[in-house]
Amino acid sequence: MWGLNLPVVLVLAAIGGLLVWRRAHTLAWLLYSLVGLWAFFKFGFVVPIPQSVATIYLAITVLALVAYASSGRERLAETVQPIKRLILEPRHRLALAGLLVALPGLAAYNAYADLTMPLEAPGFGREIHPPPPNELTVHDETIDMATAENPYLHYKHDDPELYGKHVENGRRVYYENCFWCHGDGMGGDGMFAHGLNPVPSNFNDVGTLPALQSSFVHWRIAKGGPGMPAGGTPWDSAMPAWEKFLTTEEMWDVNLFIYDFNGYEPRALGQH
Amino acid sequence: MTAHARRRTQAAATLAAAALLVALPTSGQVDLGTEEQRAGGKIVYDKYCGQCHGDTGDGNGYATPRVQPKPRDFTTGTYKFRTTPNGTLPTDDDLRRIIEIGAPYTSMPGWPNLTSAEVQNVIYYIKSFSSAFENPDRYAEPIDIPRPLESTEESIARGRVVYEEQGCAACHGEVGRGDGPSAPTLVNDKGDPIKVADLTQRWTYRGGPTKEDIYRTFSTGLNGTPMPSYADSLEVEDRQHLVNYVHSLGDADDPNYGTLITAVYSEEPIDLQDGETLDALFESAPMTRFPLVGQITEPGRNFFPSVTSIEAQAIYNRDEIAFRVRWHDLRADTSGRNNPSLEVPMWDEDNGIGGDAADDSGDSDDFFGDFGGEEAPPEDDFFGDSGDDFFGDGGDDFFGTADAGAGGAEFSDAVALQFPASLAPEETPELKPYFLYGDAQNPVDLWFVNLTYGVADTFRSRGSDSIEATEADIVEAVTSYDQGAWTVTYKRRRSSRAGVSFAEEQYTPVAFSVWDGFNRERGNKRALSSWFYVYTEPSVEQAVAGPVLRAALIVLVVELLVVFLVRRRARQQAADEETAAASLTATEAPAV
Repeated sequence: MWGLNLPVVLVLAAIGGLLVWRRAHTLAWLLYSLVGLWAFFKFGFVVPIPQSVATIYLAITVLALVAYASSGRERLAETVQPIKRLILEPRHRLALAGLLVALPGLAAYNAYADLTMPLEAPGFGREIHPPPPNELTVHDETIDMATAENPYLHYKHDDPELYGKHVENGRRVYYENCFWCHGDGMGGDGMFAHGLNPVPSNFNDVGTLPALQSSFVHWRIAKGGPGMPAGGTPWDSAMPAWEKFLTTEEMWDVNLFIYDFNGYEPRALGQH
Repeated sequence: MTAHARRRTQAAATLAAAALLVALPTSGQVDLGTEEQRAGGKIVYDKYCGQCHGDTGDGNGYATPRVQPKPRDFTTGTYKFRTTPNGTLPTDDDLRRIIEIGAPYTSMPGWPNLTSAEVQNVIYYIKSFSSAFENPDRYAEPIDIPRPLESTEESIARGRVVYEEQGCAACHGEVGRGDGPSAPTLVNDKGDPIKVADLTQRWTYRGGPTKEDIYRTFSTGLNGTPMPSYADSLEVEDRQHLVNYVHSLGDADDPNYGTLITAVYSEEPIDLQDGETLDALFESAPMTRFPLVGQITEPGRNFFPSVTSIEAQAIYNRDEIAFRVRWHDLRADTSGRNNPSLEVPMWDEDNGIGGDAADDSGDSDDFFGDFGGEEAPPEDDFFGDSGDDFFGDGGDDFFGTADAGAGGAEFSDAVALQFPASLAPEETPELKPYFLYGDAQNPVDLWFVNLTYGVADTFRSRGSDSIEATEADIVEAVTSYDQGAWTVTYKRRRSSRAGVSFAEEQYTPVAFSVWDGFNRERGNKRALSSWFYVYTEPSVEQAVAGPVLRAALIVLVVELLVVFLVRRRARQQAADEETAAASLTATEAPAV
């Protein structure tokens, strides 16, 4: 589900539940947050996320945890209390010695694993939905990105038969051109998807089509990968600039079809 | 009547006919579902299946001209993947299996989003397209699939003997790479070209990669294709040995695609002419497999590329770097022409392959004909008469001549490595040239080898419409074709004034293109990859002990410091409190 490794997620949640139940100490919570997040990134996903990305998240988390722990004199005192007791009380002497040996051991192991780790290709972040331009010119026709809508969408209510024709034409366009990458069922998992990086957009995803205005989708279809700003790493995208191959009507029709197929509505004007 | 309405009428007629039949007495196996179930199936079918299999089930959907293998024509009642004997109908479970998991490396995906009931309904609906399913005589019990034998050396050796005796190599090739002499001529009963399975790449088996899958395939045959059933000609045990042999030809169920070539350092000189030493050098370098897909972004759209992956490795010494790439191709096309900028149409309407064969298979009524018994004689004129125009600047007349068919080699096999012309600036390390032949601002260099000549040509490309031959970089290459596998080894000096240099510990973007002349791939019609990386591993092996000890020591020092500070502070506090208490006592004393 959502690309998550369920057993790992459940175990992590269970440990969290245990901490709640036992009213765990602040320090235990801080450790749980850090180690749990690390474990989640490392083992929680079916397809592991790049280590560089995980490292950035973990660094932010450490900062947040430190900020939380030191946000008040009392909280700070409470957080470090168990550490102080470990160091000062003679009955914890054995545990302290163990810790003094274990932590350098861990650091040594980490350094060793780092040095002998199989190499990864460098990974770079990219904007999934890069900011669109204010105006879009396709086939000599300029539209205002903020206000433009799919010109055939209103037929859904005004003229269902005509709407159906546009959807059917969009279906033709989609299965003549798009499904190799975006998939028969539009899960972004077409037969060529495994060879592409970034992977093709998943139109089943509630975070994609319903979150976008149809003008945004029109922009992405018409201008494709090459029309993206640098933040979207246009050089990696296999998305063609469809204005070179399709008529404006065909592009709006396929736009209509992918919404219709998934049962989604474009994000309306001014809706957030 | 609109097409839509016509379809609806046809479907209604089919449903009515099927409904009538349900009322007839049926054998135990005829189960066509209820009208309601078929109607439910139609809804699922129209949404998810009709675009390829056709809204009337005839295998003629929107996508059909652009996919290979062709979508199943449900009106024939012929199905490839069955547990039932050759020529009989599949069971519902057979149909369910393909619907749920799909057929890998074809345009048939799995449909895990459908519920079990939806799948059953769509099975009933699909069966209603062919009257074969109404005929009890066409059904048969599934075959027994015994537990696989252990893959012992003896079993595999016996399997090899069976492989030879049964003539498997005629299509699948001597070592199973799908390169047998008949491979280029094969078509199914509709006249569409059939790609022979590459037995060394289990993940591409249409019917599945397990030993049970393999046993099933040659015990039941693939109806409608040249793959026969060996149920009658081979004992169960021999089939099991054959399974073990076929299984031994590949080393993994998964392709294990990678993202990085690690170039390994060597002191030795790299001599392309000294094959043995070169092989030994490459032995030390890890091999990475990269996925290839069709170029469908620009004109020359290649919807069904022949080659689906390429393996690559690299070595380097003080001055030079060498790359070796390897891929499987059903035959060596070494007589035609090819180069990265050869003109191509938007896409080949008739892809050309199997063209001749399609003509003489006009009557495709004989679905159950014995394809396996008599193989079509292999074309002995592979390098036929198309070699007249190697240097011509043609390219306008792709559809004109007939020799583009199965025997022709109008276009040669080719391969290219692609590197950025220069590395990304440090402030924008993610910047790369457009992966499709570069762009105006960020050109790429192509190390192109036309396998007709077997030498490397270099091109500087600023996009598919701006590709120029260069001579600035001298790239050498040697090529070989052995039993269905092309191997191309490149060499260049590591540093270059005109192109990218390969410094130690550097990640250099690299991408691949492969052209199969047989599939009429040329110019921008090619199989290609995304950007991946080459990493030039440090020449001096990094010491491990030093950094490990240092890490441990630093942590230990920090720990001891913390313990020391905390304890000192505690002692001070205690001392302060004592003093305070003492002074308190002192000051209070007089008052008492």
